[in-house]
Amino acid sequence: MKKIKLYPALLLFLAVACTERIDVKLDESYTRLVVDGRITTDSAAPVVALTKSSGYFSNASSPKVSGATVTIFDGTTSYLLPETVPGQSGIYSSKHPLPGKTGREYILHVELPSAISGHTSFEAGCMLHPVARIDSVKVIFHPDYGKSGAWTIDLYAQEPGDQVNFYMFNWFRNGRLMSDSIQKKIVMDDKFINGRYLGGIETFNIDDTHEWETIKPGDTVTLQMCGITAGYLNFISQVQMSGFNLPFFTGPPANVQGNIGNGGSGYFAAFSNSYATTIAR
Amino acid sequence: MSCAPDCTYYFKHTMKTIILFLSCLYISIGMFGQETQKINRYTITGRLTDKESGEALVGATIYVKELKTGAVSDIYGNYSLTLSEGRYSLVFSYIGFAPVEKSVSLNAGQKISLELDPHQQALKEVEVKSEKEDKNVKKPEMSTFRMDIKTIQRIPALMGEVDIIKAVQLLPGVQSVGEGSSGFSVRGGAPDQNLILLDEATIYNASHLMGFFSVFNNDAIKDVKLWKGDIPANYGGRLASVLDVRMNEGNSKKLEINGGLGIISSRLTIEAPIVKDRASFIVSGRRTYADLFLPLSSNKELRTSRLYFYDFNAKINYRINENNQVFLSGYFGRDVFKNPMASMQWGNETCTFRWNHLFSTKVFSNFSLVYSDYNYQLETKMDERNSFEWLSRLRDIGTKADFSYYPNTGNSIKFGGSIIYHMFQPGLTKATGNESVINEVRVPGNYALESAVYAGNEQHFNGHFTLKYGLRLSMFQNIGPGTVYHYDSSYKATDSTVFKAGDFYHTYAGIEPRLGLLYEFNQESSVKASYGRTFQYLQLAQNSTVGTPLDIWFPSSVNVKPQIADQVALGYFRNFRHNTIETSVEAYYKWMQNVVDFKDFAQLMLNSKLEGEIRSGKAWSYGLEFLVRINEKRVNGWVSYTYSRTFRQIDGINGGNAYPAPYDKPHNISVVLNWVISKRVNVSANWVYATGAPVTFPTGRVEVGGKIIPVYSERNAYRYPDYHRLDLSLTWLSKPNPGKKFSWDLNFSVYNVYNRHNTWAVNFVQDNINTTQTYAQKLYLFGIVPSITLNFHFNNEKN
Repeated sequence: MKKIKLYPALLLFLAVACTERIDVKLDESYTRLVVDGRITTDSAAPVVALTKSSGYFSNASSPKVSGATVTIFDGTTSYLLPETVPGQSGIYSSKHPLPGKTGREYILHVELPSAISGHTSFEAGCMLHPVARIDSVKVIFHPDYGKSGAWTIDLYAQEPGDQVNFYMFNWFRNGRLMSDSIQKKIVMDDKFINGRYLGGIETFNIDDTHEWETIKPGDTVTLQMCGITAGYLNFISQVQMSGFNLPFFTGPPANVQGNIGNGGSGYFAAFSNSYATTIAR
Repeated sequence: MSCAPDCTYYFKHTMKTIILFLSCLYISIGMFGQETQKINRYTITGRLTDKESGEALVGATIYVKELKTGAVSDIYGNYSLTLSEGRYSLVFSYIGFAPVEKSVSLNAGQKISLELDPHQQALKEVEVKSEKEDKNVKKPEMSTFRMDIKTIQRIPALMGEVDIIKAVQLLPGVQSVGEGSSGFSVRGGAPDQNLILLDEATIYNASHLMGFFSVFNNDAIKDVKLWKGDIPANYGGRLASVLDVRMNEGNSKKLEINGGLGIISSRLTIEAPIVKDRASFIVSGRRTYADLFLPLSSNKELRTSRLYFYDFNAKINYRINENNQVFLSGYFGRDVFKNPMASMQWGNETCTFRWNHLFSTKVFSNFSLVYSDYNYQLETKMDERNSFEWLSRLRDIGTKADFSYYPNTGNSIKFGGSIIYHMFQPGLTKATGNESVINEVRVPGNYALESAVYAGNEQHFNGHFTLKYGLRLSMFQNIGPGTVYHYDSSYKATDSTVFKAGDFYHTYAGIEPRLGLLYEFNQESSVKASYGRTFQYLQLAQNSTVGTPLDIWFPSSVNVKPQIADQVALGYFRNFRHNTIETSVEAYYKWMQNVVDFKDFAQLMLNSKLEGEIRSGKAWSYGLEFLVRINEKRVNGWVSYTYSRTFRQIDGINGGNAYPAPYDKPHNISVVLNWVISKRVNVSANWVYATGAPVTFPTGRVEVGGKIIPVYSERNAYRYPDYHRLDLSLTWLSKPNPGKKFSWDLNFSVYNVYNRHNTWAVNFVQDNINTTQTYAQKLYLFGIVPSITLNFHFNNEKN
């Protein structure tokens, strides 16, 4: 939830520590297929983006993987996701909305025209778990937070106590997704809140560091709560930590663990959504 | 009591070893028996103390000139020397003190207790130079380093804070785990493989202020000894080293006040006799005040933060009579960090009661009761929906008995035992205030009994050869209440067993032989060899290189086997210039079993299934250490070079392939020199060099959800740039004036003189604006750091 500053001491190090860019000579590993795909309970088309890995300092967009055959199987039917711009975009999506259903396992299958890391066929499966309904959401300004105050988006919902749940949160300002990269999403499990009524627990904490990211009175703010799997939660947590190394807190760097078979990277996620909207005052 | 399936094997094996060991000891004692029938032998015993403070002199030498042999005082200053009837010249000496020679006509037992003078120069009529401080060559121990606090105080220090652990990190075979850190690696071992003792109590976290300073306040410390190998049988429980730190006893002659004002902290120590020459006390306190400057920060979050540490040492001792002395000592330290959103505090508390009893002139003993506590508490702002506190604690209560028996000059036997009861409370979180919706989460506590018995002898054969042999039998028992999870081959918990309070539900036993050989070629050179096996039953759940105060200790158990190390070492020792220059070269090889590492992205905190995150395997280290130690009148210090390697091979990590351990830094140089320019000025310098630490770097990247994610190399396939640093200090002392009770010194020190930006970490960063760009960013902690410290000293008698 709210990013609790567990390590006030970290402040000391950020005050003491200095940074400088350095040149590092790195070797280049073999090429991997990268999958970034999702199906949700929204009335929308599932989307799967296929790219390839590249050298760490390649400093260009990831090479797209076109011409693949991508299908999603829901246990009874297999749906084809054609490439949105055939032979170019590397993005595969159904032409019509295909909302996922809770309690089903969705299997993604990718067939490539030519092999990557020795394979042409890749598969990933993900259960689609339900999510609790959001009763309401409030947006509150706290003048004592951060450098010059901050907004919090507070959640009101009943956490189901009869199952282990994993959550991802997004927020929208005036209909636009603001947590638009994986780094900006919030994920959590229910270890500390299982079965509790979440009567105004803080989710996003938004300061005014960047004007384009903050909230102004009158803005319409929507909170999205997604019911995800443990695997997807771990994946997002690992992605958020990757590349970052602070000798106190981080373990040895390791490759992020996704759910794509045959040595592929990335994640194919299935999750359910619930939303609530309010106006900032 | 239930036992592991292999328990029967353990006990059979243990019995065999005990029988073999006792046979050796019996044969050896039998030899003394035959000898004593022929010749009348008498014992000289006594206690050696500092004339000025009354403090016991630890490791002072009693040398018998005629026999070219002698004894060494124990940690309470007591010694025992049994010789045949005759006339002898005994030389009592201790580094930095004027030696004393006594002629003795031995035809009955004698008591010679002496006060050695720290100020007086060596008496001219005493020819002591060739006998002085030749323990480096003559003592049958290797891989050790003893430092008195005066040596440590001369070493230039970060922000002027003199620090024992920072001094230890300058020794050959010892490495810092990170810039400014109090963690250290000994001969490739992990930081949790060091047993750190303060007056016999285990210090579980020796760091203050995230490691920049250690818990040891140098004003309260008397003596520090590090064993990197050849660990005596009376110590156990860690694989890599023992750092034995002893507190001052308190001046039993006169009131003495010492203090210091530094840029980051101040300290004050008061010591005085309660009953002159019989009872004394010392109290010592220290507190940092760096946080006083935080309100000046431009950063609001820093401005509203508080961070400081304080610690308090106290000791009282009473000499009941010549044969009995009791000591009560304690340490209490706390780090506190606070800001408006959260607070965190952690610290150690220890308490030791000791009764030092001399049964006879040949049998000394010490009985100890020891308490040790490490705990932390973390709390968020109250009365919010997610307000909570988080507590964790580890406590030990233990008792020890140690005996020394000196049947003759040829043998010194030590034996004893210890029992420690460990209480682990790994973690508890609970809501605070009425508004919070946070559930209580408790990682089940667990309990264990760690016990050991040991015996060892140091046996001298003719004038050249000394054999040291010992055996330690250790046992570790998990005691209920406790919950044991059972894991499948993929480390997933399948079910659990709950044990009732008082159930001894799992037992490990360890046979730990210790062996040492010394061959003296002559007065100035010797060769030594040693072998030792050590068991470790507690380990730290620490996945980062430097660690945090939140890291928890966890015990061996059904799922976690004890770590075992076997180390062999061979060394050549040579002294020059009347023992004022000591040199040595030591080679070692160490094999370790069941060493602990953690799976990728391990969850170590508040995890009741922590054992499922552990991966264990083997490790090995080897190295060559060269040391030149100088103890001239005006110049002292040491220069060392170490070549060492250390590797791990663990299933489930790095594809099961061997990888360099995090502290594998092959080349290491330390230069520590102090030069007394005049009576009022001395200058010190350190220069350290180490190969860069091994690290895992990206060898590719993938992009998911707008984030560039590194694809990593094999574990520790790269290295940071090499580390090197020069520190200098100058101490200016007040004018020596025997008529004054007050004296001072002013210390100017500069850390990292040539402002090298040594790498602390390298992050791989995605540019915020041009999101396809990535770059490497070095994080370094300190540039050049100058500091100034004023120390003062007062005593109520004229100097």
